[in-house]
Amino acid sequence: MIEARQLTKSFKIYPSKPGILNSMRSLFSAKYEIKHAVDSISFKIDEGEFVGYIGPNGAGKSTTIKMLSGILHPSSGTATVLGIDPQKERKELARNIGIVFGQRTQLWWDLPVKDSFEILKAMYKIDEQDYRHFLKQYDDILEIGRFLETPVRKLSLGQRMRADLAAAMIHNPSVLFLDEPTIGLDVVAKKNIREFLKEMNISHQKTIILTTHDMDDIEQLCSRVIVINQGKTVLDGSLEQLKNHIGLPSILKVLYDEHVNPKNISGVEKIEQNGSELTILYDRSKITSPALLQEISQWGTPKDIQMKEPDIEEVIQNFY
Amino acid sequence: MKLYIKLVSASIRSRMQYKMNFVFSMVSYGIVMMIDFLMLAAILNRFNEVKGWNLYEVGILYGISSVSLSLYRTVAPEIHEFEKYMIEGEFDSLLIRPVSPLVLLLSKNLDLSRIGGALQGMIIIALSLYHISHTHSITMLLIYLPVILVCGWIISFSLALVTATIAFWTQRIKDFQTFTLYAPFNAANYPMNIYPGWLKFIFFTVIPVAFINYVPMLFLLNKGGSIYYLLLPVLVALLFFYLASAFWNFGIRFYHSTGT
Amino acid sequence: MVYWHLFRKSFAINMQYRLSHLINNAASAIFGFVYIAIWTGVLTGKEQKSPYSILDMTYYMGASQCILWMTVFLTAGLGIQLGVRNGAISIELARPVSYYFYVVSQEGGRIAYNALFRSLPIGLIFSLTVGFYVPSHWTTLVYSLLSLLLAIGISLNIFYLIGISSCWTTEISWSWAHFIILTLMFSLGGQMVPLTFLPEFLSQLAKWLPFAGVVYYPVLIFLEKADHSVLILQTGWLLVLLFANHGITAAARQKVEIQGG
Repeated sequence: MIEARQLTKSFKIYPSKPGILNSMRSLFSAKYEIKHAVDSISFKIDEGEFVGYIGPNGAGKSTTIKMLSGILHPSSGTATVLGIDPQKERKELARNIGIVFGQRTQLWWDLPVKDSFEILKAMYKIDEQDYRHFLKQYDDILEIGRFLETPVRKLSLGQRMRADLAAAMIHNPSVLFLDEPTIGLDVVAKKNIREFLKEMNISHQKTIILTTHDMDDIEQLCSRVIVINQGKTVLDGSLEQLKNHIGLPSILKVLYDEHVNPKNISGVEKIEQNGSELTILYDRSKITSPALLQEISQWGTPKDIQMKEPDIEEVIQNFY
Repeated sequence: MKLYIKLVSASIRSRMQYKMNFVFSMVSYGIVMMIDFLMLAAILNRFNEVKGWNLYEVGILYGISSVSLSLYRTVAPEIHEFEKYMIEGEFDSLLIRPVSPLVLLLSKNLDLSRIGGALQGMIIIALSLYHISHTHSITMLLIYLPVILVCGWIISFSLALVTATIAFWTQRIKDFQTFTLYAPFNAANYPMNIYPGWLKFIFFTVIPVAFINYVPMLFLLNKGGSIYYLLLPVLVALLFFYLASAFWNFGIRFYHSTGT
Repeated sequence: MVYWHLFRKSFAINMQYRLSHLINNAASAIFGFVYIAIWTGVLTGKEQKSPYSILDMTYYMGASQCILWMTVFLTAGLGIQLGVRNGAISIELARPVSYYFYVVSQEGGRIAYNALFRSLPIGLIFSLTVGFYVPSHWTTLVYSLLSLLLAIGISLNIFYLIGISSCWTTEISWSWAHFIILTLMFSLGGQMVPLTFLPEFLSQLAKWLPFAGVVYYPVLIFLEKADHSVLILQTGWLLVLLFANHGITAAARQKVEIQGG
């Protein structure tokens, strides 16, 4: 269904030096460094798979998505999506895939949501009956009916994302590329989006590739995870394999009023000590946060406690 | 085409949400250009002519140049503001649709307030023609005027497209626009024979604004041009449009291979 | 000194874009060449009917093209209206520095940048091609500099006045005001047509307005074609505007404080 073979994207970087003369000179100089944003990545994704595509900022996630959708052309290697070469038949492919960039909307900023949908309807040549069915179906699952008449600029971030997701589905594509669809959303909005994506994947057999920074997205949605770092695949496997590999620890930082002696607790993976401050890495599926809190308060009197959810950025940086 | 109409009507609706602003900017573009012309009129009123062109003849040149530029500004505001697609990385979102990016850009927005500039140009042309009609026959000019305006519009659009394409390499184009659009169109408000050789060379070749008004008017106002001069604007417009779209496509290929 | 610091900062910000500004300078020069060509075309064979010769007009256009970057092409409303729209102005007014000098010193940095990287290169282009006027007496340079500084002062204060007026106006009427002032600076400032060439009534009126002090008088003093008494007129307008801005800033402060920002 989706296949990448030795997909590579490299950029030339011209080192620029300060000063007018130097910046003029660097315009004409042939000196450059080559940076591989994506470095011979290969994978094969079958119909109905839900793949989490994760890695730190600048790892090459977005670049890969852009190559799969035909926005960028690979420096070497090839990609096939639905049997189509994105580089050669970008427009044909566009009819069959849906894309959402979480950071920016693809709707018409000043127009009511409905008008945006109608423009897309004309763009993808959707007939009236299918369109009405689309509106009904997405009102049921995303409740877009509530803000169809509202201009996009007046929507909340969560509403806007729901509208964007619906817009990406208007031509009923079988493949979805989602680049950070939950970024900046609150807990409720995230939950709505996840439920929607789950339904699309399970009941409608959509093949989905999702990039995200949110570990919960991955845990709740993805059956398979591809991790990349500095343009290279570092892991391609199930969610279980990912967990075994890197642990996905939650982090608890505790500051005591004096030096303490921590003990081993099951479910805690690692304890770092820095004076009277402890950094505890633990697995939430093995020990709950309240239980852990109870344990650690027996070692001394905590002055300050901070909890951090696992962040892909940090987790992956730490392990590679 | 159906899609284009749909997109354009949508953009008009979104503009109409700011009605006052719309009326204001439409009137103001008209006024600012009018005052510019009144300045010129003040000079020519005092000195009668410039290198053999009187106020009304210059008025026709001036009007055609304004109408051409304003029509382009009306139809293609997103081409004019293209640098924002590069700076804010919005260009990607044009490449995920089953329609060419140029069509999407053209249909995304219409700047109707620029019609104020076109109206001002038309008024100047009409007044000038009225005065000229006392001494010349203007039938031929009237018949051919629409062709001239369409060619002028295509030439200005092509120039703008070339300038926008530069953004694929430089990101910013505002400063180039002064060079490729504002200054040349300002120059095209007046007869080309007043300029020194090197400026004339530029306006007849790389930035061919001379063909928008000066060349056909040499014939239509009996200033020594032959009837073939009427064909030149059409040929230049077609050739330049072809070159501009080729360059644009080359720019998109470059974008595909580098991104931003 | 905080104002000097702001001045230097805004100078440095502009430095980042100097490459594209250099391209813009070429375009600016072309505008100048176009005007020179028009005047040459108009005056050829008719110089005796005009108070200025072709050479005079060439110098006039060259000098006015340079001065535009210091007195007319300033930031719209000095950027004050942005602060008014997003509410930042209440913080800026509350700072322990003069708001007026806070705004003006930043624009001053930009003007200094423009003088070095726009006016100077444009002047160089003209002096290498069509020539640039050299005053016959060194005192002219002193008077020109004085007149230029007064012109910058008048212009800064006009732009400040428009900017601060956004506390009371809607976005639309504010844009009107800005647009009208800019048009007046171009036409009644004598940028393309020296005021003498305007119709009699308009010409007499324009000579007494502040806009003439922004382009027309500094250029004429440099070309040694105006009496030094115009400096008094410039100074007068500068004082009037300073006085007005002082009052209006106080009023703006009161309005913002009452509204609570």
